[in-house]
Amino acid sequence: MNTFWSRLYSWADERVKLGGLVEYMGKKYVPVNRHSIWYYFGGVSLFLFIIQVVTGILLLLYYKSGELLAFESIQFIMAKVRFGWLIRSLHSWTANLFVLTAMIHMFSVFFGKAYRKPREITWITGMVMFFLALGFGFSGYLLPWNELAFFATKVGTDIAGAVPIVGKPMMVFLRGGEDVTGATLSRFFGFHVALLPGIFTVFLGIHLLLVQRQGMSEPLSHGDSPDTERKTMPFFPNFLLRDMLFWLMVLNLLAILAVFFPWELGKKADAFASAPAGIKPEWYFLFMFQTLKYIPGKILFIDGEVLGILVFGLAGFLWLMVPFWDRKSSRGETNRLINYVGIFVVFYMIILTIVGWIV
Amino acid sequence: MNRTTRIMFGLLMLAFSSAGFAGADDKCLTCHESIGGKAVDLFKRDVHHAKGISCAGCHGGNAQSDDMEKAMDPKAGYIGVPKGDDISRVCAKCHGDSGRMKQYSSHLPTNQIENLRASVHGKLSTNGKERIVQCTTCHDAHGIVPVKNPGSPVYPLNIVKKCTQCHANAALMRTYNPSLPVDQLDKYRTSVHGMRNAKGDAKVAECASCHGSHDILSVKDTKSSVYPTNIPSTCAHCHSKAEYMKEYKIPTDQFDKFSRSVHGVALLQKHDLGAPACNSCHGNHAATPPGVQSVSKVCGTCHALNADLFSSSPHKKAFDDRKLPECETCHGNHEIIVATNKLLGVTSEAVCSRCHNESQNVKGFATAKAMRGLIDSLESREKRAIALVNEAEQKGMEISEAKYKLRDAHQARLESRTMVHSFNEARFQDVVNKGIVVSASVSEEATQALDEYVFRRVGLGLATLAITVLAISLYVYIRRLERHQAMGGK
Repeated sequence: MNTFWSRLYSWADERVKLGGLVEYMGKKYVPVNRHSIWYYFGGVSLFLFIIQVVTGILLLLYYKSGELLAFESIQFIMAKVRFGWLIRSLHSWTANLFVLTAMIHMFSVFFGKAYRKPREITWITGMVMFFLALGFGFSGYLLPWNELAFFATKVGTDIAGAVPIVGKPMMVFLRGGEDVTGATLSRFFGFHVALLPGIFTVFLGIHLLLVQRQGMSEPLSHGDSPDTERKTMPFFPNFLLRDMLFWLMVLNLLAILAVFFPWELGKKADAFASAPAGIKPEWYFLFMFQTLKYIPGKILFIDGEVLGILVFGLAGFLWLMVPFWDRKSSRGETNRLINYVGIFVVFYMIILTIVGWIV
Repeated sequence: MNRTTRIMFGLLMLAFSSAGFAGADDKCLTCHESIGGKAVDLFKRDVHHAKGISCAGCHGGNAQSDDMEKAMDPKAGYIGVPKGDDISRVCAKCHGDSGRMKQYSSHLPTNQIENLRASVHGKLSTNGKERIVQCTTCHDAHGIVPVKNPGSPVYPLNIVKKCTQCHANAALMRTYNPSLPVDQLDKYRTSVHGMRNAKGDAKVAECASCHGSHDILSVKDTKSSVYPTNIPSTCAHCHSKAEYMKEYKIPTDQFDKFSRSVHGVALLQKHDLGAPACNSCHGNHAATPPGVQSVSKVCGTCHALNADLFSSSPHKKAFDDRKLPECETCHGNHEIIVATNKLLGVTSEAVCSRCHNESQNVKGFATAKAMRGLIDSLESREKRAIALVNEAEQKGMEISEAKYKLRDAHQARLESRTMVHSFNEARFQDVVNKGIVVSASVSEEATQALDEYVFRRVGLGLATLAITVLAISLYVYIRRLERHQAMGGK
C-alpha cells in the first residue's frame, strides 16, 4: 500500500514539483500558548463554510426560486427527498454556527491584537468575509419564502431604506422594486448562490494565503520572549490533526442539532396577510434591531432610526479600521482602550440580544 | 296667596303662554272655527287641544289677540305652516323637553326626535332638503290622539296601513332603495300575525313590534332589532312571555330551545350570519309555522342535498302516509342538536329505532344497523389518521401533505352524513369507502413519517457513535504522535 502512495506522490511530484510545498509545510510551526484554543475557530469557520457550500449545492438540486414554487420546493425537500430534511437542517444550523464561530474568531483576533502590523490585510479580508456572511444569512433567510422570512426581510430592507441619501435607492435595489415581492426573492437567490459566494471565495483565498504566508499571530505579551523559550507545534500534522478533531466535534454537534431541532418551515408568505406578532430578525442582527427599537423617534433634529443606523455604520467602519488607528499595538505596546472597547461591544451585543430574544 | 306662590304661578303662566297655552281663550280657534275647515275639526279632537295647547303652540303667533294682524304677526313668533324639518323641530320643542312635557303631566319619552334623526327615516330625502320622515308623516298633524287610542294612525291595528302608505308604494320606495320589497303588506296579511291583526287583535305583532317606531334602523345595521343575530330576542319579546301568549295556546320555550340548538349556538354565540334565525324558517312578514309537508322544503333551502336525497328515498312515502313532518321527526324543530352518529342505528338513542326494530320494519332495522357500523368505522379510522398525523407533526416531521389529505377524509364523513338521508346502504357505503381509503392512505403516510423519525434517531446514534470513535481515535493518535515527537522521533 505504501508503495502505491509513494508511487502516486512521485507521479505528482514529477509533474507539479510538490517537494517545495511539502518542505514548506514541514517547516511551518504554530505558536503554543494559553490562548491557542482561539486559533481553532478560524479553522472551524472554514470547515462550516465548506459544509455550507456542499449542503447548499445539494439543496440547489431541488430548490426552485420564485414566489410560486420556493416554499413548495423546500416542503418537497423536507418531506420527499431522501435525506433532504437533513441537508436543509444542516444548511440552516451550519449557517448560524458559521456566523457564531466567525464572530468568536473575530473577537479572539481583536482581543489578541492579531490585526496589528503586518496582518492588517488579513483583518480587513476577514471582516469583509464576516459582513458577507451576514449578507449570506440575510439573503438565505428569505429563500424558503415563509411568513417569518417575508416580514423579517421587509423590516430589514426598511431599515436599510432609512439610511440617508443612498438608503432609498439601496432598498429599491435590494427589493427589486418598492415592495418585497417575487422579484426580491429572485435577486436574493442570485446574491445568495452566485454573487456572495463569488466575492467570498476571492477574499477567502487572500485570507488563507496571508495566514499561511504570515503564520499565526502571537499575543503581545509573548513578543519579548527569546525564540528558544517560545513553544510551538508543527502545523503539519499536529495542528491540522487537532483542527480535524475540533471539526469532528462540531460535526457531531451539527448532527444532533439537525436531528433534534429540525429547522421549521412555517407558513407560506402572504403579502396580503398582516405581519405576525413578534417579528424578529436572525439572532445576529437582534442587538441592532433591539437598539433601534429603544432609540427615541427624534433626537434633536435627526430621526432616531437614522441616527441609530449612522452610529452602527460608523462603529462598523471604526471596527474595520482598527489596525490603522490602534497604533500602540502595532508598536508592540499594550493598548487597554482596545480591550475596554472590545469588552463593551461583547457585553452590549450579548445583553441586547438576550433582551431582544425575551421581549 | 303668599309671595312665593305668586311668583311660581306667574312663571307657570309665562311658560304656558310661551308654548301657546291659551286654555279657553284661544282666539286662533275662535276665528278659524268661524272660517271652518278640516284642520279645525280635527284639532278639536286633538290630544294637544285637550291639554290646552293652542294653534300658536305649533304655528306661533299670539293666541290671545283677536286682531288677525297682531295674532299672526311674525314679530309675535308666527311661522305659518311649518315645512320640512321645521315640522319635527316644532314638535321637538315640547316633545324633546322633559320639563315642558311634565307641565302637561306627560310621561312620554323625550328622545323620539333624536331616535328619529338617527333612524333610517332620519336620512335626507331625495330632494336633499329635509329628512325622509317627519313626525306628522305617521302621527298626522291636527287630529293627533294617543297611540293607544284606536283612532290613532299608529294604533296597532292601523299602523300597518300607515307604514305601507310609503312601503307598498313601489314608485316611491324605488327612489330610496330599489331592492327593498314592497309586498310586505300582502305577505303580512297571509301571516298568523297579519290575519289576527286584521280581525282586530291589537296584541299581535305589527310593523313597529319588530322594527321599532322612532328608532327604526336598516336590517343591515347590527343594532337593528331585525338584524339576524337580534331577531330571536325580538321574536322572544312576545313569544317567550307565557302570560302574554296564554290566550294563543302555543309554547313559549322556543327561544330557550333555539338558543341551545346547533342553529342558535351558531347564530347567537358564534355570530354566524349564515345560520338561520326565526324568520329563516317561519318567514318574516309572512311569519307562520311551516306545515307538515313544507318542513323539508324549508330546511331544504339550506340543506338542499339532504332534502333531495330524502325526497327520493323510501322514507318519503312512509312519512307522507303517516303525516309525519319530514326533517322534524328525526331532528326536532327549535332544539335541533348537532347530528352525531348516535342518531343513526338501532340503539335506544338512535332515531331509527323509533320505527324499526328486530320484529317490525326489519329491513330498515338491518340497513340502519349496517350504516351505523360503516360510519363508526369511518370515524374511528379518521380519528386514528388524525392521531398519527398529530404525533408525527409533534415530533417535527414534515407531514403537511398527509395533513392536507385529511380534509378529504373529513369531507367524506360529511358526505356520508348527507348520504344517510338516501337510506340506501350501497350508496352510503360508496361514500364511506372513499373516506376509509383516504384515512388509510393518510395513516400509512403518517406511520412512514413516524418510522422515519425512529430511523433518524437511530441514524443519528450510529453517526454520532462513528464520529465519536473517529474523534477519540484521532485524539489517541495525536497523543501518541506528540509523545513520539517529544522523545525525539520524527
